[in-house]
Amino acid sequence: MNTLALEGTGTLVRFALRRDRIRLPVWVVVGAALVAEQSAGSQAIYDTPAALAAYRATVGTSAAAIAFAGPPVGLTTVAGTVAFEISASVMIVAALMAMFTTGRHSRADEEAGRTELIRSTEVGRHAPLVAAVVVSGLGCLAMALAIGAVGALTGLPVSGAFLLGAAVGACGLVFTGVTAVAAQLSESTRAAYGITGAVLGVAFLLRAVGDINGSALIWASPIGWAQAVHPFSDNRWWPLLLCVAAAGALLTVAVGLLDHRDLGAGLVSGRPGAPAAGPLLASPLGLAVRLQRAALLAWAFSLVVLGAVYGSMGDAVESLFKDNPAAQAFLPGASAAGLIEGYLATIFSIDALLAAAFAVSSVLRAHAEESAGRVEPVLATATSRSAWLRSHVTVAFLGSALLVVASGAATALVRAASSGDSGSFGRLFGASLAYVPAVWALAGVAVAAVGLVPRAAAAVAWAMIGYAVVVAVFAPGLNWPDWLGDLSPFAWTPLVPVESWTLPAAAGLAVAVAALLAVGFGAFGRRDLSTG
Amino acid sequence: MSAAIAVSGLVKTFGPTRALDGLDLEVTTGEVHGFLGPNGSGKSTTIRVLLGLLRPDSGAVRLLDGDPWRDAVALHRRLAYVPGDVTLWPQITGGEAIDLLGRLRGGLDPARRAELLERFDLDPTKKARSYSKGNRQKVALVAALASDVELLILDEPTSGLDPLMEAVFQEYIREVRAAGRTVLLSSHILAEAEALCDRVSIIRHGRTVQTGSLDQMRHLTRTSISVETARPVTGLDGLPGVHDVAARDGRLRFDVDSDRLDDVLRHLTVFGVRSLRSAPPTLEELFLRHYGDELAEDGVPVPALGRP
Repeated sequence: MNTLALEGTGTLVRFALRRDRIRLPVWVVVGAALVAEQSAGSQAIYDTPAALAAYRATVGTSAAAIAFAGPPVGLTTVAGTVAFEISASVMIVAALMAMFTTGRHSRADEEAGRTELIRSTEVGRHAPLVAAVVVSGLGCLAMALAIGAVGALTGLPVSGAFLLGAAVGACGLVFTGVTAVAAQLSESTRAAYGITGAVLGVAFLLRAVGDINGSALIWASPIGWAQAVHPFSDNRWWPLLLCVAAAGALLTVAVGLLDHRDLGAGLVSGRPGAPAAGPLLASPLGLAVRLQRAALLAWAFSLVVLGAVYGSMGDAVESLFKDNPAAQAFLPGASAAGLIEGYLATIFSIDALLAAAFAVSSVLRAHAEESAGRVEPVLATATSRSAWLRSHVTVAFLGSALLVVASGAATALVRAASSGDSGSFGRLFGASLAYVPAVWALAGVAVAAVGLVPRAAAAVAWAMIGYAVVVAVFAPGLNWPDWLGDLSPFAWTPLVPVESWTLPAAAGLAVAVAALLAVGFGAFGRRDLSTG
Repeated sequence: MSAAIAVSGLVKTFGPTRALDGLDLEVTTGEVHGFLGPNGSGKSTTIRVLLGLLRPDSGAVRLLDGDPWRDAVALHRRLAYVPGDVTLWPQITGGEAIDLLGRLRGGLDPARRAELLERFDLDPTKKARSYSKGNRQKVALVAALASDVELLILDEPTSGLDPLMEAVFQEYIREVRAAGRTVLLSSHILAEAEALCDRVSIIRHGRTVQTGSLDQMRHLTRTSISVETARPVTGLDGLPGVHDVAARDGRLRFDVDSDRLDDVLRHLTVFGVRSLRSAPPTLEELFLRHYGDELAEDGVPVPALGRP
């Protein structure tokens, strides 16, 4: 790499920091706030050795908790529980920050044609990419320091707090490198994010399986490396070297790829497409299916893999319980079978929340089409407004139902096979379907928002998803009034298979869905299009 | 002749902005009607109201004898629209987009589609992501021109085209007119409007300031005369309808109200005319006349064309 290839990097870094002067601090604050909230909360709840022992007993038996959190180590101290509970979430936040920051300043600029203008000035070939990586790296550093600081300020041991922060930042660095490579592979930013997101998903899954089985699989995952520092207990720094080495290697690969492609091109260059439209592209619904097909298939694939993996962990739930006398003493009424049912109910509601996230992004696709001006040529043809909106809503509703069915079937199939109880397939598969009305209710909120408040639609719809996640995952630990949690459609849904399915709950949700759709379509039919 | 488009007193506000302020527009069936005005004067807003994408605050709007808001779908089967800023789906090819828009409109003529692709030199296998602005414009133009419709609504359709493609476009518009179809052509390329339009409407700040055929408009304004005579001309200043007389390089230049032209020529012949140039106002001059005050505010010299 000659030095001129980096000409102008400093200026571009300052410019990128100027563009991200709101975004980056928000990411950092979100990461630090998660740690601060967990630190304060855990210290308040587990204030006695008995409470801590009880926590250790229950969490030690919960494959679901381990799957979503990390290795159950260091749970003898309150600080250890903080690291256990929050590290996975905050590492995902750091990875997403790294992905969006790196992608935004590399491929997104290039796709929009801004890099061409920049590169026509006295700026080296590598400078835009390296500047994007530097800015993302600075974000990771800031998040690491902020987490260390808030951890120390809320009373956690200082060295452990900064080690936790460093682990989070190191995880972000790896995904900076992953995004830098992905941005070279494809011509589109969307695809680059798709590749990075897939790597993140696989990394999370590998460590989840590794942590539950206690296997070496965690060493195949960058999140596994970052969590292997075991803050507040073993306090190991060396696993971070793996992260830094991987980030450096990925950056080298990205720069190498950059040297072998034209500006604006991907390594996978676009092939000529169809000169004429196939039979699908003949109706608004055909267009919506075409636009959302790739995303739906990617979601379906991910959820089927996730469902199968979580289904295969049923046995681990059982053995974790049997091997833990403390847990058996703490939960005298509990049986292994009951724990597995509870675990599956958690899995089904997590899958349903993910399906709801797809449904919302799919409904919001309609609004994206509108604000990008792409709906105008379509509505200038013999296509009515309601037919056009209905096309995207149909994809959202049927697509999210398909996701619930596919992941539920994968979980039920693998569980039935591994338990040898083939009769359980139908029961478990049926149980997963009980969550469909709640998914549709969240999609319905998005439809109503697109009709009523188009500008705020994305904020409203995603806030509703975030709220449903908080209610489903954290509510048991929060001292909320009941009505606050009851606003989530998941609160109306029985936790099948632990609880049984009821008609009134499903009917109530169906009425809510119908009302939300009526509001959304009614408002969309009457308002101006927000174009241009 | 019936009216394909009849708009009167159209008002549309966006918050405090009055985008359309009592606009009138009448497009006769079978004509090419130029819809002229600078950016921000309300052309695109009017077109979006005509397409039923925006709802008028007040005023009467008829399109092909229907209500553009209520009867949108039925009316759209009979018209084709080319937006000024064409945005397409990045992952869909130009050929697919043409077919999609054509089918949603009720079908297109495959032979004509092939001919248009050839004439406009458009590669239909490229994904829209890689198209330039001009090529995106061509996609919308091919889709519109390949449809068998009564009315074409074109919003600055040639803003990204090169001169060769502009010529192809003009040829097709003449063909459309010969077939008896109606065209509403919004533009700020005045040479294009001058070449194609039977009648034009000039709008300003959301209001129609002048409408009619170019001949009618010219008749209402002044002709520029430049004349060289054997003997110095006298008494010209005193004639009614003569303005801005100036002598330079042995030639006399002045403007004359078009209905006084005959009297002025009779006056000039007495002095032995050696050469005479007469220039009717160009559309550009007609147009600038309505915007002269804005140019003057910005310190730009106003063309020597008096106000009526």
